[in-house]
Amino acid sequence: MTRLVYASVLALMTGAGGAAAQDVTLTLWTESATAPESVFAQEFSAIDNGVTIEIREIRFDDLVTDTLRAVATGTNPDLIAIDNPDHAAFASRGAFLDITDQVAASDVIDIDAVFDGPRASLTWDGRIYGIPRASNTIALYYNRDLFAAAGLDPDSPPRTWDELLEAARALTDPENDVYGIAFSARASEEGTFQFLPWAQMAGGSFDNINAEGVADALALWKAFLDEGLASPDTLTRGQWDSTGTFNGGNAAMVISGPWELGRMASDAAFDWGVTLLPVREEGGVRASALGDFNLAIFANTDHPDEAFAFLEYYMSQVDRVWPEFTRLPSVAGVALAPTGDARIDAAAQVFTEQLSYARNRGPHPDWPRISQEIQTAFQSVLTGQAEAQEALDEAAERIDGIIN
Amino acid sequence: MTRILRSLRDGIGFDVMLVIIALSYLLVFAGLPLIYNVIISFQTVDVFSLGTLWHPNAGFDNYRAIFDDPLAGRVLWQTIVFTLGSVALQFTLGFALALFFHQNFTGATWIRGLFLAAWVMPGLVVGVLWNWLLSGDFGVINHLLESFGLIEDPVFWRSNVETSLYAVLIANIWYGTPFNMILLAVGLAAIPGDLYEAAELDGANAFQRFWTITLPMMRATIGAVLALGIIFTLQQFDLFAAITQGGPAGSSTVAQYWSWQLSFREFDFGRGAVISVLMIIVVLFVSLIYVRSTKAETQL
Repeated sequence: MTRLVYASVLALMTGAGGAAAQDVTLTLWTESATAPESVFAQEFSAIDNGVTIEIREIRFDDLVTDTLRAVATGTNPDLIAIDNPDHAAFASRGAFLDITDQVAASDVIDIDAVFDGPRASLTWDGRIYGIPRASNTIALYYNRDLFAAAGLDPDSPPRTWDELLEAARALTDPENDVYGIAFSARASEEGTFQFLPWAQMAGGSFDNINAEGVADALALWKAFLDEGLASPDTLTRGQWDSTGTFNGGNAAMVISGPWELGRMASDAAFDWGVTLLPVREEGGVRASALGDFNLAIFANTDHPDEAFAFLEYYMSQVDRVWPEFTRLPSVAGVALAPTGDARIDAAAQVFTEQLSYARNRGPHPDWPRISQEIQTAFQSVLTGQAEAQEALDEAAERIDGIIN
Repeated sequence: MTRILRSLRDGIGFDVMLVIIALSYLLVFAGLPLIYNVIISFQTVDVFSLGTLWHPNAGFDNYRAIFDDPLAGRVLWQTIVFTLGSVALQFTLGFALALFFHQNFTGATWIRGLFLAAWVMPGLVVGVLWNWLLSGDFGVINHLLESFGLIEDPVFWRSNVETSLYAVLIANIWYGTPFNMILLAVGLAAIPGDLYEAAELDGANAFQRFWTITLPMMRATIGAVLALGIIFTLQQFDLFAAITQGGPAGSSTVAQYWSWQLSFREFDFGRGAVISVLMIIVVLFVSLIYVRSTKAETQL
């Protein structure tokens, strides 16, 4: 219905202008052809508005690299869906179009309704450089059947780090190829995304990574690996593959985000649940990572108005990102429609609460370098090449050098 | 005018023209990028100034940053291990296979040709295949080793700092051996058979024939194969990208991968260029060996 209304509004607008709509082709780069922006772009192209959007899918790991190269050589697309911590690198250097004024004039996009975290990630120097695609964060998935089999209560999943470690020990079962827990400590943005919440729960942050307590967070991760509670491949495996082992019954718990819900509902042959990330101790600080992408227009596009019309179309469809894509809307006042799967609907509650504790990575134009220092720190500790505090002190010093 | 034209058709001018074509190709497609690479190694270049023609001068800062980097020593050592290990084993296995197929049993040429199938596969595909084979929990290699009773617990090839470099090394040996074999087989075929007959009549045994005929006659080929092997190994990138991404904790980072990481992950093109400049110096040196051995070949 909203789609229809929107289409007629757009038709009226172009009709009122009196000029026949010229055929315009825009390009959109994205990590996935099945992500909401890709699906909405196809719908937008199907609307008779003279605008066609061509979608190019680029692997998540290569998205920033390829885009930077394209910007440097002037071969960038008109539109992009980009991971939110990478947004500032482009916005701060003028690669993205400043859409502050169009947003202010728009009836469809209400930037004040966007939650603080996502809004900060797409704002640079007080100006708006995009819209949020959605938001996500990580929480703890657990296999209720394995909990019951190990004598744990599936209705009271671990709430503190100690309980988490105990549960992982109880659930690990090498005889049956079951690890207690799966997560990703990979040397990539995914690793940083997974590690920062633990550092933050212990009182640290990306610009205070050697805070007292962060070493404890690393000690917890190291215990998972050293005691064989998590696969050694945790160091080289991303979140998607780690969750795959959970879905296959080879890990009893996994730390991952709501984007997994659809696959888990169809792949996992057991009963599962989701709970908030355990805190350091009873009543401790909650934290989690703010994930997901933003949509932005490149400053050098020939068709800024048509590109902005697509952003407006996207925002008009934002109530669909939860039921169709299990992603959380970044805009206040959007109800999460029931999906018809009780487990997913229960997860919606957990992820919504977890998201309220989510913190931004950055925004900082040199985020990739900051992230790299954090990755180096946790990887060198987890592989036993450095002492935790030493590695964190060194990372903090280098991050200071990047920030200041 | 006509004299120049005639000289172009059938005189010295034709030779000069050929040389000019080759040289200008080299200058435009190899020389200029090389020189540009040397230049940006002395400049501060980030991605947003990459497109501009001139960048701020950095003097030797990039070089100093590379040599001061705690990773530098390890990367150097890992590059040496990877390169020498790859070349030595690719060469030995390739030579053994070449000698084996030189026996000319039924189907030898066919099977030899099939070996090339490995070499024509794109590096990323080979990398993904080995990524699965070497996987820790469910890898085929661990399964085989366990069923032969060689190991008790699975080896986490890619995730263990002790083994990650060797995971890529094993894949690279598999990948490069057929190429060594083919080049060496060509060299073997070029040795006149009567030499062996004469030696056999004189009572030389197989080992003596190999040591005094095969090896000396193959000197030029061996030099070329080793030089190309070193150069190809220093270019090997796909396998690292697909198997370990240089990790964990930098334990499988080699110079070429580090250069890429600095340039395209950290967007510090100046420091990335420093490593390529240092690698070019090594490759130039190796190329000299290659040129010398091919020169010896033409003199035969």
